[in-house]
Amino acid sequence: MNKLPVTSYLTGIYLFFYIPIIFLIIYSFNNAQYSLIWHGFSMRWYHELFADGDLWVAVLHSLLLGISAATVAMCVGGLTAITMYRYDFFGRRLLSGLIFILILSPDIVMGISLLILFSLLRVPLGFWSLLLAHITFCIPFVVVTVYSRIVSFDEYIFEAAKDLGAKDSVILSRVILPLLWPALLSGWLLSFTLSIDDVMISYFVAGPDFEILPLKIYSMVRLGVKPEINALCTVTFGLTLILVAISQLVLRKKP
Amino acid sequence: MMRFITVALGLLIITPLFAAENIVNVYTWSGVIPDSAIRQFETETGIKVNFSTYDSNEVMYAKLKADKNPSYDVIEPSSYYIDRMRRQDMLAKFNKAELPNFKNINTSFLNQSYDPKSEYSIPFIWGITGIFVNKEYRDPASFQRWADLWNKKYADQIMLLDDSREVFSMALRTLGYSVNDENPEHIKQAYLKLKELLPNIKIFNSAPISILVDEDANVGMVWNGDVFRAKKENPHVDFIFPKDGFVVWVDNFAIPKNAPHAANAHKFLNFMMRADVAKAVAIDNSFPTANLAAQKLLPADVRDSKTVYPSPDVMRRGEFQTDISDDALSLYEKYWERLKMGG
Amino acid sequence: MKAHDNSLKYFSLGTIWLWLIVFALLPFALVTLASFASHDDTHLLTTPATLLNYFQLNNAIYLKIFKQSFYIASTCTVICLLLGYPFAYTIARMQSRYKSLLMLLIIIPFWTSSLIRTYSMITMLKPKGIINSILLWTGIIDKPLPLLFSDTSVMIGLVYNLLPFMVLPLLTNIERLDNRLIDAARDLGANRFTTFRRIILPLTMPGILSGSILVFLPAMTIFYIPDLLGGSKSILLGNLIQNQFLIAQNWPLGSAISVVFTLILAVMLLVYWHSMGNKERDLL
Repeated sequence: MNKLPVTSYLTGIYLFFYIPIIFLIIYSFNNAQYSLIWHGFSMRWYHELFADGDLWVAVLHSLLLGISAATVAMCVGGLTAITMYRYDFFGRRLLSGLIFILILSPDIVMGISLLILFSLLRVPLGFWSLLLAHITFCIPFVVVTVYSRIVSFDEYIFEAAKDLGAKDSVILSRVILPLLWPALLSGWLLSFTLSIDDVMISYFVAGPDFEILPLKIYSMVRLGVKPEINALCTVTFGLTLILVAISQLVLRKKP
Repeated sequence: MMRFITVALGLLIITPLFAAENIVNVYTWSGVIPDSAIRQFETETGIKVNFSTYDSNEVMYAKLKADKNPSYDVIEPSSYYIDRMRRQDMLAKFNKAELPNFKNINTSFLNQSYDPKSEYSIPFIWGITGIFVNKEYRDPASFQRWADLWNKKYADQIMLLDDSREVFSMALRTLGYSVNDENPEHIKQAYLKLKELLPNIKIFNSAPISILVDEDANVGMVWNGDVFRAKKENPHVDFIFPKDGFVVWVDNFAIPKNAPHAANAHKFLNFMMRADVAKAVAIDNSFPTANLAAQKLLPADVRDSKTVYPSPDVMRRGEFQTDISDDALSLYEKYWERLKMGG
Repeated sequence: MKAHDNSLKYFSLGTIWLWLIVFALLPFALVTLASFASHDDTHLLTTPATLLNYFQLNNAIYLKIFKQSFYIASTCTVICLLLGYPFAYTIARMQSRYKSLLMLLIIIPFWTSSLIRTYSMITMLKPKGIINSILLWTGIIDKPLPLLFSDTSVMIGLVYNLLPFMVLPLLTNIERLDNRLIDAARDLGANRFTTFRRIILPLTMPGILSGSILVFLPAMTIFYIPDLLGGSKSILLGNLIQNQFLIAQNWPLGSAISVVFTLILAVMLLVYWHSMGNKERDLL
């Protein structure tokens, strides 16, 4: 096969994905407050970044929210997927249809409908409203991830366990969970990713006591980003790369 | 999985602890209070500030309306929104005894029609909506009036503020009407006038400093303080006070009704009115300050800047914004949507 | 299946149904209710019930916004499909030790705020930004192109943000493709084009459809990309709904728009399910 066009095409797409990130990194060293044109090298935004407590609080809040939402979503979504696979019950198709629709329902509609709900129930806007909203939009993604994994299992494993007299709870903890943890983990990761990057839903249900990073960035972005945000993203991007590299190394050694 | 659950539960228990502290929730226009002032307040008083910003009065108003549990302690609406929120019983009266620094405020901004006894609002900053021009590309002499923006030469080049009230004010002035006109016929004329301007509009934006600095647009509508700031990174940007009249606006601090931390809100406001603090804030945001004591302390380049503090002669062409009726406002919104859709 | 211990089943069913009813169905029912409410200057939602909000929708501007959003979202979907299909196909069929790394590289950008990445495109597209600088320097153009704050920049931003949503479902789908079918087709004398059209394309149709849905729907409603890259000039459906809620304070109208949009969406999904042969497994 002709290799050059294929390689350059792949490279082109990857460049498209990464060039904005490269620019973001370059501009985190730009010596200008408002301008987005190169004005010389400077480390000042990194100094400001590490002095800015509020920004780190927002980062912490986002992590907290992401971890909590992903964890609850993983438990509820995982159980749902297992139940949907293992049992026949009334309304099963309705449930799967509903989950499917939830994935596709526009973020903005979900955001405003939750805002109306919280406003009527007088749930204060803040950590709890955000958490409930995030769990809600994460659950369907976990269900789908776990379910698509579970259907690839050999059904007879469960039958065998059952024939050997295992209770449902034993089957769950001894058979299903050990087999399913990669899917649960990727569901968790997916939820975490969605949660820490969500703007559209959080925009409607956030309150003043609990500021999260995407919304802080959103308000900054409209008003001209302080390059300190670029510095923050450079730092987090670097950390991500390191984590990915470590996990690649660990996984490669294993087999 | 057990470990995850334990961690998550642990985190859930910790969270409310953050919230139980000594705090004040401040919600202001973006870019008007520097982080350094917030830090200073936190160090001096030990009160934690939850600081968030908005870029239009409408967004702030909607957020307050939507959240049934009162959550903000300090807000900063423009005067015409003070009027509206006061009439809708959304604001709390100040306890003036807790605001000794109130004496620093320029009395010419007090007891205005939007708050006749100055019980609900503290004038904080004011400003002028005018025209900016980049001297490198355009001759400032040819932009002395709003009407000059309509010239067909400037197709796809003009920046306007993303603010329906401001944009309609401009059109009303070019037609010779007041910026507070409520006559539906006049508003309609203004809309038709703006429709003619559409081919010239390149951007709607309410935070234009980087647009001015990087010359993404070289002429358009802007608030004077933003030009003063942009000049620091691009000296070619100039501010013009339009000959056919302009809006003078005042943004005021206020405390929403039932604010959860009203005592801290008073402390915060009193701090913001202190001359040295107000001076540092005014230098940072570059807008004219309503704090007379602070104005006197300003360095010469700001105090004498004709962009920031225009002469009384120029000021005579200005007109204060006041609240308009809901019918007029919804008419604005209707036409505004149409404009953004291209007529 | 014999039911000798059903506590787990009832527990998980109870949890998920309770959750979905409270946080998905109830809120949507509230939006539907709100769409029949009226509003005045002190109340966001109030009586009397009215159909006015729906009648208001039938005007030229809203139809225009809808048409424009539909047009932009479809164009975006087509571009993503054209760019993403060959990409996903090449990677999925690759026999290389770097394959998993390449797949990971698609996901990594997600972990940097999408807003910041979009914002960083502004620096590239500006009149004095990098793209124009390079073009000017090489002499290809003699005046900066007005890339930023145009429909082009909105489209670039949308494709940039949504392309991975096209690529990922396609990757999973193409990976599962049975090689033997392709070999058989080739053995029977089909040329590459025929093999693609008769074998590969039909087999990857589920991936194409789910990718297209995952791109098309957000493209219609993402409000921050037209705001940032379009100079707030082009209003898409998302901006319209957001405006009603946060600027115009017309919750009933905003709800009515959401309800109509969701209904249109539901119809599209029904068509999709129908085309999938209504097999339940394919839902998930």
